[in-house]
Amino acid sequence: MTVSAIEVAPEVASPLISEVMERSGQNLLACYQCRRCAGACSVGDETNFFTPDRLIRAILLGDRQTALNNELIWKCVSCYTCGIRCPNGIQTGRITETLKKMAKEAHLASPHPRVVHFHDAFVESGVRWGRVNETEFMAVYEMKNTAADIKKMDFAAVVAEVTRQLKLAVAMLRLGRMHFGFLSAKGRKEIKRLSKKTKTTTF
Amino acid sequence: MELAYYPGCSLKQSSALYDHQTRLVFDRLGVQLKELEDWNCCGATSAGKTDDFLAMAMPARNLGIAARSGLSEMVIPCSACYSRTLVSQHYLEAHPDLKDQLNAGFAKPINATVKVSSILEVLLALHDSGALAGTLAYKPKALKPVCYYGCMLTRFPFSVPVPDDIENPQGMERILEALGVHPIDWNRKTSCCGASAAVTDPAVAHALMAKILSDALARNANCLVTTCPMCQMNLDAYQEAACQAHNISERLPVFFITEVVGMAMGLDIKKLEIEKHFINGTDLFKELEPYESEQ
Repeated sequence: MTVSAIEVAPEVASPLISEVMERSGQNLLACYQCRRCAGACSVGDETNFFTPDRLIRAILLGDRQTALNNELIWKCVSCYTCGIRCPNGIQTGRITETLKKMAKEAHLASPHPRVVHFHDAFVESGVRWGRVNETEFMAVYEMKNTAADIKKMDFAAVVAEVTRQLKLAVAMLRLGRMHFGFLSAKGRKEIKRLSKKTKTTTF
Repeated sequence: MELAYYPGCSLKQSSALYDHQTRLVFDRLGVQLKELEDWNCCGATSAGKTDDFLAMAMPARNLGIAARSGLSEMVIPCSACYSRTLVSQHYLEAHPDLKDQLNAGFAKPINATVKVSSILEVLLALHDSGALAGTLAYKPKALKPVCYYGCMLTRFPFSVPVPDDIENPQGMERILEALGVHPIDWNRKTSCCGASAAVTDPAVAHALMAKILSDALARNANCLVTTCPMCQMNLDAYQEAACQAHNISERLPVFFITEVVGMAMGLDIKKLEIEKHFINGTDLFKELEPYESEQ
């Protein structure tokens, strides 16, 4: 964390707190740092000890830099365990989901671009066709990964990823779990029209 | 009995066996499944992470179609689809402005409340009514399962009524006990399998899966039973990699609940497509004892 409690400036903190509270629907002000969420966190071992309580603290201190750029918002698997353990009913899973969107809007590159590529590719496929076509969605996901890896000149990563996915594809093919038909829903137009009209909604 | 049925994308593709088994099992139970006409993707957890409007709008359109069907209950076997649909339903009840706005754009607006049920809730109701017992032919004697619920049956990103205990659900245990199978109590029944991290961040997902598998093995379970197609795929397809990364030597088949119920009904392995698993568990169904009620 880059600021201490003593240096906190309410005029800096307030807009960030309000935005996260409104968009996530969570009352961050109720947090009294008991750290039950930290003990519950499925990925607490994977985030350099940056647990949900620390994330809430960063937001309350108005530390936008830390709030939008930390391991937890990208490693969070949305298991929502923190939320059911919180004595004050704060669903931190909703906060990481909100901060993912805010980081994207602020054009901050994620330290874990695959996470962004996956969820983008999934929703794009679901909206494009009305139903997610698994093979197409995974192909788009891997194209996004490949483009990013090539930009970084990381060709080894491309080879490793493609090999891993091909192995899975062959195994699924053998088991008859690969699907070749094409799924779609006509009603996708309704969703696209509504989505164009409404840019955001709060939770 | 007629139920509206929302299969979702996964049950039409990589987990088509789950759709197939669900239809077989419900057919035996005398339940007619009426698949929603022109249903769309629920957005799964990805929509919640990228676009809050879509996360509510995508399942909402399906709720409108379900309302038009005239049926009072809709069963959704996939945990992600179930969770997103239930959350959208309750969120829209609490936010009538958004509901009106969506309804204005839907050919089939949400004008009635359909009960959204998981496959467990429907099976439990059929168990309580005695309908399940009437269909049972065999006890799969060799099974020593742990029931794996995962995240999405009991934990939601919005306040919704949860039909089971949040920390220690028992619904799946009750169904299996009714079949004469005795599930083993364990600590990891609602732990997370890693979800999409299995694809985007394998090391994290492998660590989470290893915790689940280690606990199941420590309690001498010989299989896992689940209702979630994503958990099933993760723990099955990536089990080898997770075990290798965490020095676990044994492997455990991961069954859908419909496979265990189907086998108890006397359907066979081929018909249920139980051989379509990465970790083969068909041997566990070789020992079948004729079913006699314990009451």
